[in-house]
Amino acid sequence: MGSATYLFVVLIAAAIIASAIYALNWAIKTGQFRNIEKGATEIFDDEEPIGRPTDFFPTKRRKAKGK
Amino acid sequence: MSSPDTSPAAVEPGAPEKTAERALLSAIDASTRGPVFLFLVTAVLWLLGGTVFALVASIKLHNPPFLAQQEWLSFGVIRTAHLNSMIFGWATNAGFAVTIWLMARLSRVRLQHLGILYVAGAVWNAGVALGIFGILRGDSTSVEWLEIPPYATPILFVAYALIGVWGVVNFRYRQRGHVYVTQWYLLAALFWFPWIYSAAQIMLIFVPARGTVQSLVNWWFAHNVLGLWFTPIGVGAIYYFIPKVLGRPIHSYYLSILGFWSLAFFYNWAGVHHLIGGPVPAWAISAGVVASLLMVIPVVVIGINHHMTMKGGFSQLRYSPTLRFMFFGGVNYTLVSLLGSAMAVRSFNEIVHFTHFTVAHAHHGLYAFFTMVMFGSIYYMMPRLTLREWPSAKLISVHFWFTAAGVTLYVVGLSIGGLVQGWEMIATTKGADGELALKVPLFMQVVRDTVPYLVSRSLSGMLITVGHIAFAVNFGWMMLRPRAIGATAPTLFHTPPAMPLEHRA
Repeated sequence: MGSATYLFVVLIAAAIIASAIYALNWAIKTGQFRNIEKGATEIFDDEEPIGRPTDFFPTKRRKAKGK
Repeated sequence: MSSPDTSPAAVEPGAPEKTAERALLSAIDASTRGPVFLFLVTAVLWLLGGTVFALVASIKLHNPPFLAQQEWLSFGVIRTAHLNSMIFGWATNAGFAVTIWLMARLSRVRLQHLGILYVAGAVWNAGVALGIFGILRGDSTSVEWLEIPPYATPILFVAYALIGVWGVVNFRYRQRGHVYVTQWYLLAALFWFPWIYSAAQIMLIFVPARGTVQSLVNWWFAHNVLGLWFTPIGVGAIYYFIPKVLGRPIHSYYLSILGFWSLAFFYNWAGVHHLIGGPVPAWAISAGVVASLLMVIPVVVIGINHHMTMKGGFSQLRYSPTLRFMFFGGVNYTLVSLLGSAMAVRSFNEIVHFTHFTVAHAHHGLYAFFTMVMFGSIYYMMPRLTLREWPSAKLISVHFWFTAAGVTLYVVGLSIGGLVQGWEMIATTKGADGELALKVPLFMQVVRDTVPYLVSRSLSGMLITVGHIAFAVNFGWMMLRPRAIGATAPTLFHTPPAMPLEHRA
């Protein structure tokens, strides 16, 4: 029972390591690291563009609106 | 829970494409609403419960007769209940909510297979509740960080596996080719936690390993819960929210990816430094110490990146609740990690090991860093999920200042207390033969000397409790108050046109 269970634990660990190698390889192959600094702009789009803050304290936002 | 029609046409028939794009983001947010609410509400309830357990445990340390009549209120039980309700109840539920919301947003895809998440959320919370009940009954396994009795852990594992499967499925359906750094962190966390949890459960509870291997597995697990589960979620959230709130991209995307992969390689080894001086092979401990010091690389990389992204945008801290919490969490991530690396050095570890210093350090990591980041994320997510503004800005301020002051007092006070305790326990004296000998301390004297610091911890706990109540009231108020009339379309979070220019970062 014991050694078979530990074999299982070792296999899981091996699978995790394999998945990390696979992920790294996949990332390189699909060009995730190409033109790398461009990735930083991924979370912005036309409606929430770079240069526009998106979060305010409720009342402060309202005040700004009222002006 | 019927979700309003948020398709682009519902926002405004014939709307320009720009509006449609923003409406897609709103539709994605709306699709995550049910599961995210489930995890958030349970997280807040566990937070309140865990806070009560914490206060009772803390007061007992300087006032032992406090609530000493009931077994289930004794220190060993209530402290364990506190730890587990915070780790698995509050922090993990909040982490799930943030992960789900971010994964959907970053994949640019409406949430699919909601059923899996509802089931997983219900099963997870049932498992945690059963576990805490078991601990209060006295069924704790007495293995640190794995105290939940064996009849509840399989339930937790099943719930977790469901969420992991959902994460992979969601990722497969993503609409964006590029994987943003936050997604790297979140996906990795979803893989890593079931691994460390199942391996530790098997080797410690179900088929216990022999002898000192148990302590190795125990600390490998306990440290990695923070390092491979909470840290990736917290750091990943910071990497999304700070740029998003400020409206400026990360300073160096290259560094952020470097930080991720170096964390992935080094953190796994670090936990063994908890066993310095213990009866385990010295090479294993040395490997742990080396890995702990290598962790300086990702930590410094992340710290530099956060700071450089914030640079020039500090005025925004006045306006954004999210940024305030994120900034506090990010700074403390750097501090707690560098301190952690220092604590792994043998000469420093000799002083602080087995003292209150370690307790302060654990709260520094899990509260000042992770919990504050979760609070910040919730402040950003909730208006976009409920389509309502937070009801009270004052309560947000109370929440921030009381928790920030509370946890600072906690960490500073208890760290000093830990140093005093550590120095007194290893003080040396010159014996009659002129040789240095360990000055055997009067144990009760050491205990008495730490009492003021234990009192400061209870005080800080009270401050934090006030903050939590303010947060819970604001949260409940937001969930329960009726929707404003006419709010049928998603609130679009445009910057108010009248916003003065200097407020733009």
